[in-house]
Amino acid sequence: MNQLTEQTTASSEPVVNAPFIFRGELVEGREATHRSRDLGVTFATPKIQLDKVVHPRTEVPPLLNVPLAEIIDFLVETGQRMLAPDNPYMQECFDRMASTHILPRKVVETTAKHAVAYLDKRILRAEVEQNFPDPRALDEWVPKQDFTGRKSFVRAFGPRLIHVLPGNSPGVAVKSVAQGSMVKAVNLFKMSSADPFTMVAILRTMAAIDPNHPIVKSMSAVYWRGGDDSVERVLYRPQYFDKIVAWGGGDAINNVIKYLGPGFQLVSFDPKTSISMVGKEAFASDETLDLAADLASGDVMVLNQEACVASRFVYVEGGQADVDRFCVKLQKRIAERAAASGDVRPLDMELREQVETLMMMDDEYGVWGKPDGKGLVIRSEEPVDFHPINKTANVVRVDRLDDAVKWINVATQTVGFYPFDRMADYRDRLASGGAQRIVHLGEAGPSTIGNPHDAMYPLHRFVHWMAHEDGVAPR
Amino acid sequence: MGAAADKLTGMVSAEDRFDIPHAELRELQIQALNERVQERRDHIKLLAHRAEEAGTREIRSLEDMVPLLFPHTAYKSYPEGWLMEEKWDRLTKWLGTISPHPIKDVDLNEVEDVDDWIDRLQAKGYFISCSSGTTGKSAMLIASQKDMDWSKIDTVNVFSWGSGVKPARDRLMVGCAPVATVPKNVTIGEAQKAAFAHPEWGRINYPVPPITVGSLTKMVVLRKKIAEGTIRPDELADFERTSKERQESIDAAVGITAERLIENRGKKLMISGLWNGLYQVAKAVRERGYDAKDFDPDNCIYVGGGLKRAQLPPDYQAFVHQTFNIPEGRHFQNYSMQELNSGMPKCRECGRYHVPPWIVPIILNKAGDALEPHDGKGELEGRAAFFDLSLDGRWGGVITGDKISIDYAPTGCSHKGPSIRDNIARFADLEGDDKIGCAGTIDAYVRGVA
Repeated sequence: MNQLTEQTTASSEPVVNAPFIFRGELVEGREATHRSRDLGVTFATPKIQLDKVVHPRTEVPPLLNVPLAEIIDFLVETGQRMLAPDNPYMQECFDRMASTHILPRKVVETTAKHAVAYLDKRILRAEVEQNFPDPRALDEWVPKQDFTGRKSFVRAFGPRLIHVLPGNSPGVAVKSVAQGSMVKAVNLFKMSSADPFTMVAILRTMAAIDPNHPIVKSMSAVYWRGGDDSVERVLYRPQYFDKIVAWGGGDAINNVIKYLGPGFQLVSFDPKTSISMVGKEAFASDETLDLAADLASGDVMVLNQEACVASRFVYVEGGQADVDRFCVKLQKRIAERAAASGDVRPLDMELREQVETLMMMDDEYGVWGKPDGKGLVIRSEEPVDFHPINKTANVVRVDRLDDAVKWINVATQTVGFYPFDRMADYRDRLASGGAQRIVHLGEAGPSTIGNPHDAMYPLHRFVHWMAHEDGVAPR
Repeated sequence: MGAAADKLTGMVSAEDRFDIPHAELRELQIQALNERVQERRDHIKLLAHRAEEAGTREIRSLEDMVPLLFPHTAYKSYPEGWLMEEKWDRLTKWLGTISPHPIKDVDLNEVEDVDDWIDRLQAKGYFISCSSGTTGKSAMLIASQKDMDWSKIDTVNVFSWGSGVKPARDRLMVGCAPVATVPKNVTIGEAQKAAFAHPEWGRINYPVPPITVGSLTKMVVLRKKIAEGTIRPDELADFERTSKERQESIDAAVGITAERLIENRGKKLMISGLWNGLYQVAKAVRERGYDAKDFDPDNCIYVGGGLKRAQLPPDYQAFVHQTFNIPEGRHFQNYSMQELNSGMPKCRECGRYHVPPWIVPIILNKAGDALEPHDGKGELEGRAAFFDLSLDGRWGGVITGDKISIDYAPTGCSHKGPSIRDNIARFADLEGDDKIGCAGTIDAYVRGVA
C-alpha cells in the first residue's frame, strides 16, 4: 500500500474523497490514497481505526432488543430519504461514482434507484418470512418443546458480520445493509475500490434520520485494499466476527479463505455466469424470432452485462441458417440497448484479439458487429474460451437444447429459457449440473421476493442460532 | 528485404550498435516499419485485417503503427477446444492467420499429440515455441529458420556485450532453471554452448523433466476438464500423483545443482537461470558451507526475466553474486521475451537495458491502444510494445504485458542509444487485488492447476 500511495500522490490527477463510517460515526480524512480498479482513478480515505470497527463481545449487539418491525420501518424511511432529490449524500455519491465506476452515470444512478425498491415493507417482511420458519426468533426467545417433553427457547441471535462487497452493483450495498439490519447484526462493510461511496452514502442518509439509532450504531464501512495483511490478519478472527459474507471469486475469496477456521465461517456469494437457452419454437414466425432475440438481448444487457445474472452464452436450437438469423437480430438489439444507455466502453485488448482471431477463422465462427464495444455477437458450435463481457454474447448453436445441458456447471447461475412451457423438462437436469435459477427468457433480473440466492437462504445462515435448554416439562 | 530494415538489422554484430543516438535512428526506423508493413500486409491475415480496420496504408509515424501491433495474447488466441479434441488441421490453419509464410506440405496424418504436431511443422521449417513456466494457455509462437539463425548470433552478442565475457570456450555452463524444450531455447542453448562452454565440460542442465509444449498443453486440457466437471476422480488422483512426483523432482533439483556446482567449483563457471532459482541454489550452496572464497573470481552469470512473483529477501541479487564469486561487470541480465527475437542487455555502466537499433520501442498507454504522450524529454513510462525488425517467421510488432520506463536520450553512460530502467513490472502484478464482483467464471472453481 505504501508504494502505491507514493505512486498515486505523485501524479497530478484529481483525488476524490472517500470517508469512512465507524459504528455510525463519519470520519473524513486523506491519510491514504488508493487506485480504483478498471478506471484508474485515485481516491483518498482516512486511516482505518481498527478499535472502532470491532464491537466487543462483552457488549450485546445494539439492535438486539429493537423489534424487527421498527427496523423495517427505519429501512423503508431510509429508502425514501435516499431517493429524495435534496439528499446531498446520494447526489454526492453519484458524482463520485461517475468518476470511479466503469458504468456511465445514468446506469449507476438508475441501478441505485432501482435497488432502493428493495427497501419496501412488504418485500422486507417477505424476505424474513421466507428465510425463517418462525421470524419471531429474531425478536425473542421462541419457546419449543419436542415429543419427549423437553423444553427450550431458540433465538436467531444477531451475528457479527464482515461483508466483503463487490464493486459491480450498487444494489448489493442496499441489500447488504438491509439484511445486516434485519438479522440485527453488528456489520463491518469492506467496500471495493470500484465503489467506495454508496455504502457510506446510505449510512449517512440513515444517520441524518437519527444519528443515535441502533441501526446506525451497528454499521461500519471502510475500504482497504483486498488482501492487505495489515488489516485482514487483525480483523479476520472469530473473537471479533462470526462470519464473513463475501462476494466474488479468485483473489477476493482466496484472501479470505486462509483466515477461516472454527468460529469464523464463510458465507460466499460465488462468482457466477448466466446463460440463455432458446428452443426451436423461436423460429416459428418472424414475430417469435423478434421476441426471442429481444428477450435474450435484455438478459445479456442486465446492468450492461456487469452483473452475474446477465447472460453471456445463448444456446440456440436450430440449423446454422436459422441461428444466424437469430444472431443478426440479437446483435441489433444489444447494440440498440447499448446505445440507449450511453455505454461506449471499448472492449479490452485481449478480448478484441480473441474475437478478431475468430473472425479470421470465418468458416468456423460467425461474428456480428465489431469488437468496438457497441454490441457483438459471436456464433460458434461450442462455447468460446473467453468470458463474454462488455455487451458481448456468444450464441452456441445446438441441434437440441438437451445438447446444451453438458455446458451447465457449478458456476452457472441463471438460465433464461424460451419457450416457457419447456422449462419444467429441463429444471432437474439444470439443478443437477449446478445451476441455481431457471427463468423466463428476458426476466433474468427479477426474482420472487424472498427466494433463495446462491442456492441458500442467506439470512438463515447469517444468524447465530442460540438455544436455551429449559429441562423437561412435568408430565 | 527493405533497405532501411536491412541497414538496421545489419548492425547485429556492430561494436557500436548500442551507441547510436535515437535521433539518428528515428527516421530510418519509421522507414523500416513502413517497409515491413508493405511486405507483410498481404501475407499475414491478422495484419491485413488490422490495417483494413484502421485504414492504414503507410507508416509515417509511430502513431500509425499502434493499431498494427499484436497483443502478446494474439499467439494464444486459438480455441483450447481444438487442442483437447486434437484438431490439428484447424490449429494449423490458425497458425496460418499469424504466419507471413503460407503453411503448406505439413503431414497431418495420424498426428500422435501436440509435440508430434510441432515436430511435423518443424520438419517443414515452421518452428513453434511456447511461453514457458506457466500452466495457463500456452502461446504458440511461430518462427522461421531465419529467426533461428538470428537468435544464434544475437544471444552470443548480447551476452558478450553485457557481461564482457569473450566467447573463448573456457567455461562450464550450469543451468539453474527449468527451460522449456522449444526450438528457440534449444537454438540459443546450443549457440551459447558453442561460444562459451569448454568443449570437454559442456553444460550441466537443470535436472528436471523436460518441459514441452505437449506437457504444458496436458495441463491446459486437464484444467479444462476439471472446470467442465468431466474429469473422473481416478484420473484426477493420477494427476495429483504425477504433480507430486514432478514437484519432488523440482525440489530435489536445487540440491542436486548445488552439489554439482560445489564439485565443479574449481572450474570457471557460467551460471544461468531466473532469480528465484538462482537464489534457491545459492542458498543450498551456502548451507553446505561454500561461498565466494571457493569459487573462481571470473565466474559469470546470465539472468533472464524478472522475479515472476517470487518473494525473495531484498538483498537476493548480492546474495547470489557473492555466493558464486561473480565480480562486478560479470552480472549479466537480459530483457527480452519469447515474443521477440532479440535481447536487450543490461549495461555494465548504467545498469539500464539498452535497446538495439533493430528493435523499435513503442510506449503505449495502459490500455495499449494509443501512444503514451511524451514531450521528448526525460523518461517515458507506459506499456511496452516493440517492433523487432529481425523477425521473419511472424509479425515483429508485439504489445507486451510489461510496464517500463524508457529514456530515448543518453542517460550518462558511454552508450548513447535508448535505454530502459531496471524497474520493469508486469501490469498483471500491479493490479488484481480487488477484482470482485458477483459475475465470474468457472475458473474460480478450479483448484490445484492454477
